[in-house]
Amino acid sequence: MTRAALLLAFLLAASPAAGQVVAIVHAKAYPITPRGVVEDATLVFAGGRIVSLTAHGATPPGAEIIDAAGRIVTPGLMNGATQLGLGEVSGASDTQDQGVATGPLGAAFDVHYALNPNSTLLPVARADGLTRAMSYPAGAATAPFSGAGALIRLSPGPDILERPRAAVFAEVGDNTLAKAGGSRAAQWVLLRNALLEAKHYAGAPKGEGPRDQLLSRPDVEALGPVISSATPLAITAERESDIREAIALAQDLHIRVVILGGSEAWTLGPALAAAHIPVVLDPEANLPQTFDKLGARLDNAALLARNGVAIAFSVSGNGIYLSYNAGLALREGAGLAVANGLSYPDALAAITKGPAEIWGVGDHYGRLAPGFDADVVIWDGDPLEPASAPVAVFVRGVRASLTTRQTRLRDRYAPAHAGDGLPPAYR
Amino acid sequence: MKPADAFASRALALGLAVLVGVSSLAAHKGGAPRQEQPPYLRDAFPSTYRPLPRSDTLITHATILDGAGHRIDDGDILLKDGKIEAIGRDLALPAGAVRIDAHGRWVTPGLIDIHSHDGTYVEPLTTEDANSNDISELSDPNAAGTWIETAVNPQDPGFTRALAGGVTALQVLPGSDPIFGGRSVVLKPIPAPTVQQMKFPDAPQGLKMACGENPKSEDAEKGRGPTSRQGEIAFIRKAFAEARRYRGDWDSYLAGKDDKAPKDDPNLDTLAAVLEGRIAVHIHCYRADEMAIMLDLSHELGFRIAAFHHAVEGYKIAPLLVANGVCAVVWSDWWGFKMEALDGLRENAAFIDAAGGCVMMHSDSPQVGQFLSIEAGKAAAAGRRAGLTLAPEHVISWLTSNPAKALGLDGRIGSLEAGKDADLVVWSADPFSVYAHADLVFIDGAVAYDRSDPSREPTSDFELGRAPSTHE
Repeated sequence: MTRAALLLAFLLAASPAAGQVVAIVHAKAYPITPRGVVEDATLVFAGGRIVSLTAHGATPPGAEIIDAAGRIVTPGLMNGATQLGLGEVSGASDTQDQGVATGPLGAAFDVHYALNPNSTLLPVARADGLTRAMSYPAGAATAPFSGAGALIRLSPGPDILERPRAAVFAEVGDNTLAKAGGSRAAQWVLLRNALLEAKHYAGAPKGEGPRDQLLSRPDVEALGPVISSATPLAITAERESDIREAIALAQDLHIRVVILGGSEAWTLGPALAAAHIPVVLDPEANLPQTFDKLGARLDNAALLARNGVAIAFSVSGNGIYLSYNAGLALREGAGLAVANGLSYPDALAAITKGPAEIWGVGDHYGRLAPGFDADVVIWDGDPLEPASAPVAVFVRGVRASLTTRQTRLRDRYAPAHAGDGLPPAYR
Repeated sequence: MKPADAFASRALALGLAVLVGVSSLAAHKGGAPRQEQPPYLRDAFPSTYRPLPRSDTLITHATILDGAGHRIDDGDILLKDGKIEAIGRDLALPAGAVRIDAHGRWVTPGLIDIHSHDGTYVEPLTTEDANSNDISELSDPNAAGTWIETAVNPQDPGFTRALAGGVTALQVLPGSDPIFGGRSVVLKPIPAPTVQQMKFPDAPQGLKMACGENPKSEDAEKGRGPTSRQGEIAFIRKAFAEARRYRGDWDSYLAGKDDKAPKDDPNLDTLAAVLEGRIAVHIHCYRADEMAIMLDLSHELGFRIAAFHHAVEGYKIAPLLVANGVCAVVWSDWWGFKMEALDGLRENAAFIDAAGGCVMMHSDSPQVGQFLSIEAGKAAAAGRRAGLTLAPEHVISWLTSNPAKALGLDGRIGSLEAGKDADLVVWSADPFSVYAHADLVFIDGAVAYDRSDPSREPTSDFELGRAPSTHE
């Protein structure tokens, strides 16, 4: 029995619910591994996991065969920062759970409690090839923290939470000065103080009386995993000086830091690489929207990658794309990064393996490799062209419907219906 | 003095000039018609645009999408004295002309962004703009008398970025919070110290109006105007009724029937010019039902709608838009961010197009304003996936000839035809691809942008000397 066959037997025994063995044949596979492109690939998965990826490979008996007919196959994509599952209509605040403006919570604000698997936004993103995302908090009441982000998978059904509290988010810079009293200097002091208090709290015997600390118990406890380096601290920072401060913070406190935004990160490539600080950046950001973003440019990704900085993508699109079209915009952004100097493999990695490793799920998602989750997309063209689309999407081995509320509207109002007697509501 | 007051003073000054004119025209007393123009037809800020230095140019061996529905493979195009001299194959190089080999590259008409806020929704937008920005005048739901060109900051980096994205003309519109936002202006995105130097000569102005959620929520917040959709419609009806009387008063005065000139009113000036047919209306509307109401209202009140902007539900009433000859200005994929945007479809442009409608993409934001070609590519791809045939030579009209038509500039720009302005883009690849760059952008036959020549990549004064560099 080959290793792949052993794995197949094990996976089928372990997880009969995800059942059927699937073999995608004649694929042009991008496994996001050192293998590069695998032409005429056979990708076998079962029990929600990938069994094998082989060139011209045979298919296991009884497998459902899907002929990709030379189409590109990639892992399901991952968006490095979204607000998927946390809101429906951004103009209607009663449908929004991304952030809090008042109340006692800072780092302890934890968005996973609000995740809505029935959000109509999720199938749209999935139909664009997105199977994973970080859903992060838009802001919390206590500066400079935003709260804890959750990793989600865009599985059909209610089971979308991959990992709660996968990172704690904070934001520094011009967007949130007011919350800290009006200066980023205060933001950094508050951030450093909070982490020191969390460190002290973690080391102190429990059961003591009131402590001399600014942070509430829930907030200081929420920072425990950051102090122990179990989870990263994601700091939204755009300006070069703030990114330097973030590097210094990581080194002073021996914590894991991820930069979110990073408009001017390209100026600090070697320093970021040396400090092992990844950047989740917006590959479409090239406008001086604020004074913190004067250095925004489209080759940010290319310059960071050239310096060995780990990158992932998140596309804001005036905030719209953080929730709406979080899959399509991600691909378009990756394509723009390629148009501006990033290599194609690096761009694909920045929307699969890259964010998976940054957010701590790179051991089981993000590659077409044996044992990895069978998040798989078959594309009708180049996935980095936003004009392309998936023809099939699998999340952990389960084929997801590509029907969305929008495709139903599309079918209802298709020009072919123009002469129908009954109004669209009857279709 | 607030900008609105400053404008009122300016308009009052114009009114005064008219009164002086009256006294000097005393001979007209007794019924002779007056020769002067009513104030609502004057261009207060005439264009001083001059084309950049240029050479006659022959572009050869390009894949040309001419904007008029044709594709010419291995095509040539000759630019002479700022106009398109000829388009075809194997054109001869005239003496003194520059040749550009565009083998493997694509040529299209310059892109036209019919809905931009560049110069007012500026980069960067700071806290100074939080309560008093220039996107639109918010002291009154009727800001019809404002001219957005009096606010446009030519140093907004948005202009140079649009140019680098292949845009050669853009209409700057006021925002959608007032019901009557004011007069638009068409500009060329060639940065200059004054807006007059960017102003497209003799381009018609538009009037920005708005339906639905934006005006009513703004008014409710400010406690100073209609707080419902029905209130907005009644407000529009009342304003046009006043404008009709105002125009009648001017007609009487100019016909010599009245001695006293009507008191000049900037808001009524604009609405009178709309009733006169000199200014077409550009309405921000999302929902299909609202657009249908606006169409009826336009017939009743006598204003012409050039286009519905955003038109998120345009696909639901495509035949109605076609029957009314009204264009639709749409995004490729923005949807969901407010209640009236919930039914946004990527097929919107394609479905309206399939009904025979005049559809076009727009930016609304400086971000999208750089990537209009990708917008059209996405929208067309959605249509093809829904079974429609949308050839590139047709889709390019969504960025060129259709907006030219909606702006009333189709006789001059929007397609590559002999005699038209030589506004065009040489693309590095299929322009609808995410990988394509605008290599060269010609405006009036002059190279306004050259991706390979830093001396032809304009930078706004704002950006000069600001961006950080690597310090490692």
